[in-house]
Amino acid sequence: MKQKTGWVKGLSLLMLAATMVLTACGSGGSSDSDSNTSTDSGSGGDSKASVKLKIMWQGPDTRHQAMLKTQELYTSKNPSITFSPEYMAWDDYWKKLPTLAASHSLPDVLHMDGAYIHEYATRGTLEDLSDIDLTGVIDDKTLENLKIDGKLYGIPISRNAQGIAFNKEALEAAGIELPKKDWTWDEYFDFARNARAKLPDGVYPINDSDTWDFYQYYQTSYGKGPIIQDDGKKFNLDKELFMKFYGIFDEFRKSKIVPPADMVSSFKENDPQADPMASGKVMTRSATVGSVGALEQLMPGKVDVVNIPVGPEGGGWAQPTIFLSVSTDSKHKEEAKAFIKWFVTEKEAGLTYGMNFGIPIYDDIYEALEPTLAPKDKLGNKLYDTAKDKALPFYPAAAGWTEWVDNYKKTIDAVMFGQKSIEAAYNEISKAGNAIAEKQSSKG
Amino acid sequence: MKAEAVIKPAVKQRMKKKLKGTNDNNLAGYLFISPWLLGFLLLTAWPIIQSFYLSFTEYSLLEAPVWTGTQNYVNIFTNDSDFRTSLKVTFTFVLFSVPLKLFFSLMVAMLLNKNLKGINFYRTAIYFPSLIGGSIAVAALWRNMFNLNGYFNQVLAWFGIEGIGWITNPHTSLGTLILLNTWQFGSTMVIFLAGLKQIPAELYESASVDGASRLRKFVHITLPMLSPVMFFNLVLGIIGSFQMFTSAFIITQGGPINSTYMYALFLYEKAFKHYQMGYASALAWILLVIVALMTAINFFVSRYWVFYETDGGKQR
Repeated sequence: MKQKTGWVKGLSLLMLAATMVLTACGSGGSSDSDSNTSTDSGSGGDSKASVKLKIMWQGPDTRHQAMLKTQELYTSKNPSITFSPEYMAWDDYWKKLPTLAASHSLPDVLHMDGAYIHEYATRGTLEDLSDIDLTGVIDDKTLENLKIDGKLYGIPISRNAQGIAFNKEALEAAGIELPKKDWTWDEYFDFARNARAKLPDGVYPINDSDTWDFYQYYQTSYGKGPIIQDDGKKFNLDKELFMKFYGIFDEFRKSKIVPPADMVSSFKENDPQADPMASGKVMTRSATVGSVGALEQLMPGKVDVVNIPVGPEGGGWAQPTIFLSVSTDSKHKEEAKAFIKWFVTEKEAGLTYGMNFGIPIYDDIYEALEPTLAPKDKLGNKLYDTAKDKALPFYPAAAGWTEWVDNYKKTIDAVMFGQKSIEAAYNEISKAGNAIAEKQSSKG
Repeated sequence: MKAEAVIKPAVKQRMKKKLKGTNDNNLAGYLFISPWLLGFLLLTAWPIIQSFYLSFTEYSLLEAPVWTGTQNYVNIFTNDSDFRTSLKVTFTFVLFSVPLKLFFSLMVAMLLNKNLKGINFYRTAIYFPSLIGGSIAVAALWRNMFNLNGYFNQVLAWFGIEGIGWITNPHTSLGTLILLNTWQFGSTMVIFLAGLKQIPAELYESASVDGASRLRKFVHITLPMLSPVMFFNLVLGIIGSFQMFTSAFIITQGGPINSTYMYALFLYEKAFKHYQMGYASALAWILLVIVALMTAINFFVSRYWVFYETDGGKQR
């Protein structure tokens, strides 16, 4: 017993020693005159002290460069604000963010996406930004549509749209008729079949599809509604359409209209060698307003765009999906909000980041930008214009569905590699989906 | 400065008192090891206890844990095909990679045990890559080498062979990772080398006098004398392989279609991708039990094949 108390005291002694060292450091840093606040290491002392905002975003390299320049500009206008930026590609970004969120170390300002914002917002990691005044910049209806449970967890910075990019040069050279605006799914599949006959071996008209969102475009365009509904409490996968859609891809695999499965899994978008289109292996791939510019830079002058194939209901989406959010753990929320407001409203800012996030949400900025646009930027604009007529709403996965999204891809990959039948895949995917929906609705 | 001055004398006094105390001979010792002790208690022991508790809860990290009893364990064993897949993948990996690695590193160690001119240079050169062996950079390099248009396929193309996507094909992806693990033989090899050096030369000499062949010497001298080292490497190899994470995470991300979905990666994804900390904690405890069982079996079986010189060659 005696030994134990001695041990505890030893520990507390050590703690004391540690505190001593810490205070010593603190007082060493600040001047000797204000000795009363020395334990605070001077953080509360001067309120106009410079603030370093941590900021993180994802995207291609061109976007990184533009974003860094925009921050430089902000610092030159507001010398007390500096940035500690961190940026990476899409996949890495969404791999890294959960760990940061879990350890409460999200950056002050972070890039959010329509596909993920629900997940982060409902978990309480994002700050409500409704109080940022954006009258005259973004119309109220747009903002209202983006609210989650009445709160605005991210400021939209651009208009975005999904479409399909194609290798215009190569298709024309092979004498293939180019895709047209508002093409239907049947036309899309026929395009693929026709192109197969005219393209050389080892070059494929379209890429294989293993993600849930691409199938969802098909389902929603035929009026069967999104797969995940009611904030994740309802699951809706149409068997007939599912079987038909993947049945067509099965036929395509056999007739080499899509690349072999091991090639598909080695593709990496925007990587000069591994990008399905830039590598010259596939003639088309999906692209967004904000990302098509990066593809154009990999193959200048060769890319053109068309919207996602449509059905009776329409197809694809065209709306803001890129946001800037503030972390609830941020210690500099006001500074972060001020930066975001400047980012979306200030012309100078918009002229710096240009079309790298899509079409700037503030029309004045876009108008100022228009005369300076390079071909790659016009491509994004074209994509938006093509997509918006027939656009359906953007249907993201609800919070708690990331696991299902992952499993969807894995299950379809098994079909792709010929290890699973389409029917078995359907059963597995819907069993998992129904289980999550049931669990979420029981939570209330 | 002032605050410090106030604390200091009091602490000093107590420190003196304590250090003078008769029953406090241990205190100085604890103080000396306190950085490690604190590290162990706060960063290892506490999380272990916590994870045991969490394994009986549903915990998303951002909301408070909810007690669910043994629900996680029940789900894992009855209703999780990923669990079975990842176990199967991991066992396959262990089954192939451990013997291969042992064999390969023993062979290299035997080569490096030769009395050649400049042998030290060779040893350094061959061990050198192991310094960076398990790192992310090597995994990334490996990914570039064995990708569909990687260096390996480019070399194959010189000979007119059309390669496949080694890491993007479910039939070859696990094999590629096993190969990588075998290639990271450095530390195992060094331990073997040290073991080989311990074998008395006179054993070989007398065997030579008796006219024993090389193979015979290997089977009847090298292997038995090396068995404790072999055992050590085997146990460490099995434990390490069960926890294999980096290359599966970086190179294949568990794919294609779960063909390299290692247990540790599965656990990681549950925890940090799907926010199911409770479930992941339960998985971690199951892994601990599996590894402990494997190690226990190893120790039990070792009685029959590991030879300790100090036992005078008697089978225990």
